[in-house]
Amino acid sequence: MTSRFLAARFLATAAAALLSGAAAAQDLKFPPGEDSRFNWDSYESFKRDLSGQSLKIDGPWGGVDKALFETVVAYFEAATGADVEFSGGDGFEQRVMIDVEAGSPPGIAVVPQPGLAQELARRGKLAPLPASAADWLRENYAAGESWVDLGTYAGADGAEALYGFVYKVDVKSLVWYSPENFEDMGYEVPETMEELKALTEQIAEDGETPWCIGLGSGPATGWPATDWVEDMMLRVNTPEDYDAWTRNELAFDDPKVIAAIEEFGWFARNDDFVSGGASAVGSTDFRDSPKGLFTSPAQCFMHHQASFIPSFFPEGTVVGEDVDFFYFPASAEKDLGKPVLGAGTLFVITKDSPVAQAFLEFLQTPIAHEIWMAQTGFLTPHKGVNTEVYGDPTLKKMGDILLQADTFRFDGSDLMPGAIGAGAFWTAMVDYVGGKDAATVAGDVQRTWNTLK
Amino acid sequence: MDNIAGTKSSLVWAVNIAVVVLVLLWTIPTFGLLVSSFRDRDQIATTGWWSSLFPHEASLRFRIGDAETQRQEGEVFVIDGSVFEAGGTVSAFGTSNRDPAAHEPGEVVDFGDGISGTVNEDGSYRVTSPVAFEGRSPRLFVTSVTPPRFTLENYDRVLFAQGLGRAFLNTMTVTIPATVIPILVAAFAAYALAWMEFPGRSLLIASVVGLLVVPLQLALIPLLQLHNAIGIGKDYLGIWLAHSAFGLPLAIYLLRNYMVGLPREIIESARVDGATDFQIFLKIILPLSFPALASFAIFQFLWTWNDLLIATVFLGNTQDQLVMTGVLRELLGSRGGDWEILAASAFVSISVPLVVFFAMQKYLVRGLLAGSVK
Repeated sequence: MTSRFLAARFLATAAAALLSGAAAAQDLKFPPGEDSRFNWDSYESFKRDLSGQSLKIDGPWGGVDKALFETVVAYFEAATGADVEFSGGDGFEQRVMIDVEAGSPPGIAVVPQPGLAQELARRGKLAPLPASAADWLRENYAAGESWVDLGTYAGADGAEALYGFVYKVDVKSLVWYSPENFEDMGYEVPETMEELKALTEQIAEDGETPWCIGLGSGPATGWPATDWVEDMMLRVNTPEDYDAWTRNELAFDDPKVIAAIEEFGWFARNDDFVSGGASAVGSTDFRDSPKGLFTSPAQCFMHHQASFIPSFFPEGTVVGEDVDFFYFPASAEKDLGKPVLGAGTLFVITKDSPVAQAFLEFLQTPIAHEIWMAQTGFLTPHKGVNTEVYGDPTLKKMGDILLQADTFRFDGSDLMPGAIGAGAFWTAMVDYVGGKDAATVAGDVQRTWNTLK
Repeated sequence: MDNIAGTKSSLVWAVNIAVVVLVLLWTIPTFGLLVSSFRDRDQIATTGWWSSLFPHEASLRFRIGDAETQRQEGEVFVIDGSVFEAGGTVSAFGTSNRDPAAHEPGEVVDFGDGISGTVNEDGSYRVTSPVAFEGRSPRLFVTSVTPPRFTLENYDRVLFAQGLGRAFLNTMTVTIPATVIPILVAAFAAYALAWMEFPGRSLLIASVVGLLVVPLQLALIPLLQLHNAIGIGKDYLGIWLAHSAFGLPLAIYLLRNYMVGLPREIIESARVDGATDFQIFLKIILPLSFPALASFAIFQFLWTWNDLLIATVFLGNTQDQLVMTGVLRELLGSRGGDWEILAASAFVSISVPLVVFFAMQKYLVRGLLAGSVK
């Protein structure tokens, strides 16, 4: 009796939790029309009737990001009456491949690697976006043409078309530091690459350690170094060279690439410049390595990492107070402008339907960006949004770096084929910090790439 | 004939020591995981679990209470409080990253800009300024001995995670049929393969053994394609079928090998008495095979309980369909850095399989056949 009663109560609680969850999804985070910073006109003019239709979206976002994205989805549901179900989480890359191949694809997939979207397009599994979407991107996104290029692939028939729409961007060219530690030692934030190198030497001379660098990431060990090398590529070579490099038109063992790898080596392979010595770089977990900024005494003064890293700072850390960031500076000697390296997620239609098309149209409205901007962890190159909406000054500062960029380039390792960008490049970087020379490891990557052709 | 039963070998002590050492080696990682599950993220990142059991010296960085907590005492503005939440002893402190252990506790130190203050041995601090504090308040660097500190917060987060109740029901809905179906099918098949004479029997056994080596990842796409084609799609029926199919080769192999070892005499005398194959199976073989059935049930239950891959492929990934492993994985954060959650969820998710194991244990008795044949 008791156990049956308990089971019944458990069921009732579960059902109640479900119901309240469904109810919460209907709530709009910011009531339409109230806060004048938001572009409510775009929300009102988007309204249309799609009631009774449903859309499944699959993506890599779990946990916090998932909850945040669902707040945006709620506005789409409210504006159209359609029913949208987002099922995100780890293992997205494998999941979407299996679903698409087995014939049960989601309506829209949120793809973090353009390489994966390209592969899906090549197999004819994606629906192209209307031509107006490309024009819209050119006009409304900062550095619009590069976003169009990013989402344009050859389809199954070989014809190029726009398949991917970028929404949510991360900035990678950031250096994190503790302003007070800088003040204690009398250091200034460097404006150029030359100053950054001088500062690095200065810190080492003062008997302190300038950098925390950690490449460990389980099976993905090595990826943080690819961000370093990509940032260096943009700082020693032209953006055209960078593009050619990601397509292997510029060989991986070209002297220009080797020069970029050696620039990274200047920082990472010097025992005096990295916390724990150069030999610790390969084995330190990337999630643990920024913690050196916060120890007493500080194990290091600077940490190069993308905009997501604050979630791995010790609990209670306040960005802007305990820790801050500056733009990973460009070289003053070379006339390459202010390049910014970033990443982002591409929305692609894996099963065409009016509601899927409508959702991508919804992503063109400023309000779809502003809802997430007003919370956390969202940057956008959309020029039509009100940057006053940004939830905290840190995001706004990152957004400014993005909008002021002369050149924006997508994470190169995500553009390369999986076997390179998520394989050979990573292991090459681990080998490189382990002591092999740059030409050898670059040669290894190029040989792997040759086998793919 | 010296060492007949009753006399002990002189090497018994060596065996005992070896066993103790092996058991220790085997349990230490689990114990470490258990300790880690009671520590918070920052502790796990900075020190190993073994040092958490004793008081240890640590250097910490602390920001004194913000400007809102200040109060005016006559001419000066004061911010005070304690650097510890749970007690400890300060052995030195400093005001700058340059020299975090510059001062003795109790010493009054100049912070610059007319601000001065001190930290006492018990961790209480008092910082005074002739003008009101504004903006970012000063930092303190403290070297201290802190007692062991544990938290239940990880378990709180895991046990009361949103959707865990629903996920528990989902997992049960998946695991129970996915354990029962293959046992039912495999028991029949194993009896046929062990005791019924028909042509091609050995070949059939060989192919079942051969199927044991097929990696299930290979079958994911074709199987899901099949499910979509025949209209099952992504639902419980699909995942029961998938789990059963993946479990069957091992089940048939295990049960057949057990049944073939049952004494021929029992079965033959039953035949002589006029029992049909079905009666023999139901009344003799099945009850005698309980130990094997129970051990396979434990295997299959554990495997389906811990599974994440099959569940996400055949059941889907939405909030209503997630199984427990899916919810726990989500708790780990999108980049998987939360070790404390991993440790706590390991002990939470281990609890049900443990109950199953102990419930099944009484069936794992040997000697059911004792005395049945001469």
